[in-house]
Amino acid sequence: MPEQFHPGTGAQSDVEISLREVSKRYPASDADAVRPLSIDIARGEFLVLVGPSGCGKTTTLRMINRLVEPSGGEIWVDGKNTAHVDPDELRRHIGYVIQQVGLLPHLSIGENVGLVPKMLDWSKERIRQRVDELLDLVGLDPDTYRSRYPKQLSGGQQQRVGVARALAADPPVMLMDEPFGAIDPITRGHLQDEFLKLQARIRKTIVFVTHDIDEALRLGDRIAIFDEDARLAQLDTPLAILTSPADEFVRSFIGDGAAIRRLSLLRVGDLPAVPETSTGTGIEVDPGETVSAVLEKILAAGLDSAVVRGRGSLTVQDMLLATAARDESAVAS
Amino acid sequence: MSFVDYVAGNFEIISFLLLQHLQVVLLAVGLATAISVGVAIGTERSPRARSALLAVSGTILTIPSFALFGLLIPVFGLGVAPTILALTVYAIFPILRNTVTGLEHVDSAVIDAARGMGMSSGRLLRIVRLPLAWPVILNGIRVATIMTVAIAAIGAAVRGPGLGELIFRGLARMGGANALNETLSGVVAIVAVALLLDVLFVLIGKITTPRGLHA
Ligand SMILES: Nc1ncnc2c1ncn2[C@@H]1O[C@H](COP(=O)(O)OP(=O)(O)O)[C@@H](O)[C@H]1O
Ligand SMILES: [Mg+2]
Repeated sequence: MPEQFHPGTGAQSDVEISLREVSKRYPASDADAVRPLSIDIARGEFLVLVGPSGCGKTTTLRMINRLVEPSGGEIWVDGKNTAHVDPDELRRHIGYVIQQVGLLPHLSIGENVGLVPKMLDWSKERIRQRVDELLDLVGLDPDTYRSRYPKQLSGGQQQRVGVARALAADPPVMLMDEPFGAIDPITRGHLQDEFLKLQARIRKTIVFVTHDIDEALRLGDRIAIFDEDARLAQLDTPLAILTSPADEFVRSFIGDGAAIRRLSLLRVGDLPAVPETSTGTGIEVDPGETVSAVLEKILAAGLDSAVVRGRGSLTVQDMLLATAARDESAVAS
Repeated sequence: MSFVDYVAGNFEIISFLLLQHLQVVLLAVGLATAISVGVAIGTERSPRARSALLAVSGTILTIPSFALFGLLIPVFGLGVAPTILALTVYAIFPILRNTVTGLEHVDSAVIDAARGMGMSSGRLLRIVRLPLAWPVILNGIRVATIMTVAIAAIGAAVRGPGLGELIFRGLARMGGANALNETLSGVVAIVAVALLLDVLFVLIGKITTPRGLHA
């Protein structure tokens, strides 16, 4: 008999999703679409799966909510083996966002967002409140958008609704398959920023698929890079991947400019600053700002240093040298 | 006697037969819709059975209606039953074909998203696939209806109900008093029924197509 799936009641471990030697071979295929893969994903972690088309990202993602059944291995979500949970019940507690969005075209935006709560038998009033709260959360005015239909929204707006719909029943886990892949580059940048801010507030465990390494570097706490043969080439933080790519494949997949890209991942608070002197000519910045953002500010202001609040001052040269030094120490270790 | 005078003088019988005609058509199409949608849904997991049934119902459509009505007499006798049965059988193909097409062409991303949020297959059918396939299904019903209005006239050959009676009676005594008017009144009435139903379907389509699909 399938177990009921109640998120948040699982074993109090820090692991939300555990892939244990999971593999998939589709019928009539002579190669694994996903090779035996083991990853533990921590509660609140943002894991990105990245790699060229056909490397098994989508298949891996869809095995987590059992839209695809694994050929081998086990997947544990919130302390339960998903093989023993009713698939529909499992999916109602896992948010799912896809590139084509897939809003139901004949239902209003409000009805789309309220679908899962409705399936979970929430009261009408509670659903109504939740829908408005979520539309607000994703930056759509509820009074304007609640009664509109999907066709009346732009692609970017539709995907906001897609995200709101996935969050509706407050699932601990979100699966996202190239959610911003079909959206123009400028809007995509906005959506990525907003989504990062949103994630900082809601702290979901997210598995996010993309083929875009820049998106992966920007969003992920950790990144799993797969090669064409579905081999896991590297699993590490963005900074570590830029600093010490595991092999030639990873190096070429990252492409040029790893050093420059690292500037947008490092935070000025992490660099050694000179204790503040009286000659505070630089502009003031927060320790949490990235080196690239601070460089941008300094250059735009026509200055050559910045004061990191509570830390000290940093010159342009300090920043570049410190970034390079971290590079060497990371490579050496 | 002019045609108009003839119609005015026989208004009661003509309108009675017209109403009968309409009833027979709607009954047959109603039955065919229930059967077709049932078959389309019932054969979702057996594509072979589905294409076999589609082929059979398509083939039936090629049997001349006069012959089909004749073949049914030994089994069902004369009158209403063989007429409705034959019409139902004819009406199945367009509705079945459109139901199958409509269900198959629902955007796969919409279905994927719905399944991904934990919608059971029953709920998926009820609140996603059937509503989205509905405009296509309705069009099949419309085609079946117009077709059936015409074929129903042949039913008079097996003493079936409806406007065919006027046509056959007039033809049988062609040259006699008002024979042409009688046949003509049957033909005109059938065309009128077909037009009326066509307009009706446009209206039903407008009313029942989900709002979001118009937008
Ligand atoms: N339903 C399926 N049936 C058979 N093969 C499939 C199916 N889905 C994906 N594949 C194959 O599995 C491999 C991995 O696909 P996928 O997981 O979609 O990769 P990605 O999302 O990384 O592009 C590809 O070779 C693809 O052709
Ligand atoms: Mg994919």
